[in-house]
Amino acid sequence: MENRTGKGTFRHNPKSWSHRRERIVLASLRLMTYFVIFCAAFLFLDIIVKGTPTVFSTHFPFVNVEFLTGSPETLHVFEWNGSHIELADNDFRTWAAANGVDAATFKDATYAYSGGGILPAILGTILLVAGSMVIALFLGILSAIYLSEYARDTAFIRMIRLSIVNLAGVPSIVFGLFGMGMFVLFFGWGVSLLAGWFTLAFMVLPIVITASEASLRAVPKGFREGALALGATKWQTIRTNVLPYAMPGILTSSILSIARVAGETAPIMFTAAYAMRDKMPWQVDSLWGFFQQGVMALPYHIYVVSSKIPQNDYTARMQYGTALVFMILVTAITMLSIFMRQKARKKYRW
Amino acid sequence: MSNIPEDGDPNCVNQAPAPTNGKFRSRRLHLFGLDSDDIVRAFFGGNATIAIIVLGLIIFFLFREGAGFFGQNGAELNLYRKSGLEYADYMRVQTDAFFDLSKYLTSIESEELTTLVKKDGLPFREAKERTAALHTFTDDLRMSIGPMKALMDKQVAEAIAIRNDFKLHPDSAELIARRTALLASRDEFHRLNEDLRTHVSAVLANLPEADKRFARRIEKFRGMAENYISASRRTDRALDAWNPDKPVHFFARLTSFLFGRNWITNSYYQDWYGVLPLLYGSVLVSVIALFFAVPFGIAGAIYVNQFASVWEQRLIKPYIEFISAIPSVVIGFFGVIVWGQFVRDASHWEILSWIPGFPISERLNAFTAGTLLAIMAIPTIFTLAEDALNNVPKAFTEASYAVGATKLQTTSRIIVPTAMSGMISAVLLGFGRVIGETMVVLLCAGNRIEMPPLSDGLAACFKPVHTMTGIVAQEMGEVVPGSTHYRALFLVGTLLFFISLAINYVAQKILRRYSISER
Repeated sequence: MENRTGKGTFRHNPKSWSHRRERIVLASLRLMTYFVIFCAAFLFLDIIVKGTPTVFSTHFPFVNVEFLTGSPETLHVFEWNGSHIELADNDFRTWAAANGVDAATFKDATYAYSGGGILPAILGTILLVAGSMVIALFLGILSAIYLSEYARDTAFIRMIRLSIVNLAGVPSIVFGLFGMGMFVLFFGWGVSLLAGWFTLAFMVLPIVITASEASLRAVPKGFREGALALGATKWQTIRTNVLPYAMPGILTSSILSIARVAGETAPIMFTAAYAMRDKMPWQVDSLWGFFQQGVMALPYHIYVVSSKIPQNDYTARMQYGTALVFMILVTAITMLSIFMRQKARKKYRW
Repeated sequence: MSNIPEDGDPNCVNQAPAPTNGKFRSRRLHLFGLDSDDIVRAFFGGNATIAIIVLGLIIFFLFREGAGFFGQNGAELNLYRKSGLEYADYMRVQTDAFFDLSKYLTSIESEELTTLVKKDGLPFREAKERTAALHTFTDDLRMSIGPMKALMDKQVAEAIAIRNDFKLHPDSAELIARRTALLASRDEFHRLNEDLRTHVSAVLANLPEADKRFARRIEKFRGMAENYISASRRTDRALDAWNPDKPVHFFARLTSFLFGRNWITNSYYQDWYGVLPLLYGSVLVSVIALFFAVPFGIAGAIYVNQFASVWEQRLIKPYIEFISAIPSVVIGFFGVIVWGQFVRDASHWEILSWIPGFPISERLNAFTAGTLLAIMAIPTIFTLAEDALNNVPKAFTEASYAVGATKLQTTSRIIVPTAMSGMISAVLLGFGRVIGETMVVLLCAGNRIEMPPLSDGLAACFKPVHTMTGIVAQEMGEVVPGSTHYRALFLVGTLLFFISLAINYVAQKILRRYSISER
């Protein structure tokens, strides 16, 4: 209810029912929004707080070098001469030899995957992301150029657009099945980097195409018309007057899809990921062997350590450490994209 | 300035007039009558078709691997029938039903005993005397199944042996003779079944007067017993009508997948690939997720779009977008380690004891997975709903203010209804995201192939379930390529694919048809 005051202006009566209702609704909406923020913050904080002791250390170089540069190993925990000792498998064997203990029969508690580090998983994730993004960007940007610069509104183009929209909604596990059926089995590539690359690339393709097309369309028409007016061909126009201005936008949006590629587990479960691999990715016989190798990956490693082995304090350290490293990686990528977006906005204004 | 390629692009403002004499050619390189520009164009065009190709390949490979299921499974079902295992299965189901009945009566007895001792404080011996009448009944009922169980065990063992031999020697005359021998037990089974029916009827007629507190359970027992009797008659009829040489109808192969209530694999007995429990689990988890995600996502969008201050908008929007970047496996991990444990602990609190199904025993259940999925769906719903609210034309809002509406009135009567189509499609796309999500349900849904009955109400939400995405992720790594099980998993994937396509299609359709905001 509004009251007309003597001065002829509308003013809400602060005691009126309408006003009170407005405040109640506003408060509950605000409460719900902040509740979501709180829940997510709790999740972040839990991982940060519990993961920090594993990943970082209080003295130089402030990170846990063994965790970031080792391979996952079995952890041996035992009492020796009254002191509590925890050793990863390799160290344990050295220790056993030095102390004249038979490592095979020594009685100790062992925890699978709880010792060593996660370097192979970090490298595997980086390799998977790099390869799949090269494929996805190549195919995606070229498609986007066609769709935004050349294509007219024909039935065929509409079909392409419909496919892109629908492809974006396909669950990631279905991409995993498809990758397994096509690359792993039909092409006979086996569980390999190559199969993982293509599976992941096809998965993010719709995101890359949509984002690139939006960036291309954002370039003002005048730029193209100017070039065409000077006698440039279509391709020259695109190359010199459209792509350079659209590129920052394309790359920025693509970085967001990198976060998606790095975070997905389901598509690589049967196409590229191994639960455990001792060798580093460069330890291969031939160039083809490099593409043919399966790799460890951070998300798959988290899945393995949180579901396939019994829970206890020692494995929890490893789990939280891996999750924190993974979160830092994904956050860094996302932050980079946000940062680049802001920079690009400042640089190109029209 | 004479070599502008002929190009119907509307962007091209200064098109040269088309050459009339046909002699006009650009001086650049030509291949197959195309100049370099045409080649570039064709190359890009070829790339643009990639989306269609990929979609086609996905459909092709899902079908290629999955379609063989019906043939293979049909063959297995035929074998199941031909070997007489189906016949023995009727007996097994009937015997199991009897066990359920007798178990239920035993559970009433033991509960009565505990209540008498613990609540009424009777000494154990006296309590035992009071339930003695019921006890003789339960004992009697339990013992009476003996001969039938012996017959059934023998039959099933023989049927499995015949099935396994049939695999090696199809259509061997000796095996068919053995099967005929198996069928000869039909009359004995009928006789035993009839005995049991009279027995159960006698029990029903003379059921001792139980404590009033258990009247409801006794009543339920009566219902179960009556069901048992009619089921037993049906089994008799089914056994009589059963014909080993009638091939399994194609339609039955389809329904055994789509409407089968069992997903039993690697079994010694007979494998069943019924997708219903998985679909049920997926839908249950998604509904729980949306139950939380829709109010919070929409409320967040309305708040940020309409009421938040500028600095709140600047912080909240990227923050919620950032939530969507959390990898699903991290959320699942959080669920396994922290959230599931918390839900179970909370279920033991006194203040929450009014919730049906509490306290719960499984930390990983549909509720755990659903709430975590809600966190994943909120950013999707929030972002799309916020876009929809943003697209409401300014004129609408201004007109509303101009006639004196308050901010709340404008929001609830003008802005939200205008953006409704966008918000509905946001919810649908959130649903699509949730039902296709794998890692969270694989880690947190409990992975038990069961269908908690909806008649339990809320309690069904706190039972472990299995999902379509979860089963593919869990079992795909362990199956032999080309086996029936492998093909069944691809078929589950195909079903998932079409469900998500349908959701996506409907969402797009709603967005396009009902949106006012675009103009």
